Amino acid sequence: MICCKECIELLHDYLEGDLSTETNASLEEHFADCPPCIAFVNTYKSASRLCKATLTSNEIPDSVKNKLKEFVEKNNNT
Amino acid sequence: MGSNPSDKKVTEEQLVKDLQAGKTGSFEQLANLYQKKIYALSFNLTRNITDSQDVTQEVLLTLFRKGHTFQGKSAFSSWVYRITLNASYMKLRSRKREPNVSIDELLPSFNSSGFQQEKIQDWSENTESLLFDNETREVIQKAVDLLPEKEKIVFILRDVEGLSTEKVSNILELTIPAVKSRLHRARLFLRKKLASYFEEYKVQKESK
Repeated sequence: MICCKECIELLHDYLEGDLSTETNASLEEHFADCPPCIAFVNTYKSASRLCKATLTSNEIPDSVKNKLKEFVEKNNNT
Repeated sequence: MGSNPSDKKVTEEQLVKDLQAGKTGSFEQLANLYQKKIYALSFNLTRNITDSQDVTQEVLLTLFRKGHTFQGKSAFSSWVYRITLNASYMKLRSRKREPNVSIDELLPSFNSSGFQQEKIQDWSENTESLLFDNETREVIQKAVDLLPEKEKIVFILRDVEGLSTEKVSNILELTIPAVKSRLHRARLFLRKKLASYFEEYKVQKESK
């Protein structure tokens, strides 16, 4: 049977759906018997999601928005 | 920006054509289309408001002045990302270097038969609600900041900006396997970094 190490190495391709049918099946067979790997997969996905949610919520501050507006107006007229 | 995505596309296409033809007057449109993206990427790399504002202005000017040199071999947005990256790295270069963290120390460890050595807890449930918490946001932001540059930029473009592997490989001039492997390493690093925080959080909550 495929081991945890191999599963984790293939995790990116597994989540992208890039694995062959056989490899995909052996990963799922492993996961069915391995709670630590399930926890790993869940937290791997979660980490990426949490980072995205945090980093995309940084809006341009109003002070910068105003400066950019001035800058755009200045250059629009030249 | 228009509410209809196809409207936006026509505008963008037209804008790029105008720029290539050396027509001016579309600076405002250009800024409307790209300033948010440019600022966001720059801020995620520099974590500095003034630097990101400078970068945004610089990049908009470059696009405006050099737009006629854009050859259209790749997407215009890839070009925008590339110029933004370079401008952000220039800002970082003038700063004191922070000591590099070794990514290898944070990669998972296995025993000789390839099984996981550490106890893996599943903290993935209900973490979303914690995002409103400033402390959590700070921990997450810091974890991304600690990523080595090579992995960080791939992670930001792929997982944060949501670009495809192909597009990222084009922007960074990396092979597809290199993009995939750097993204995977970045995610492993972040998973581990966040694990220590969220596991502790879970324990605290359960003991209450």
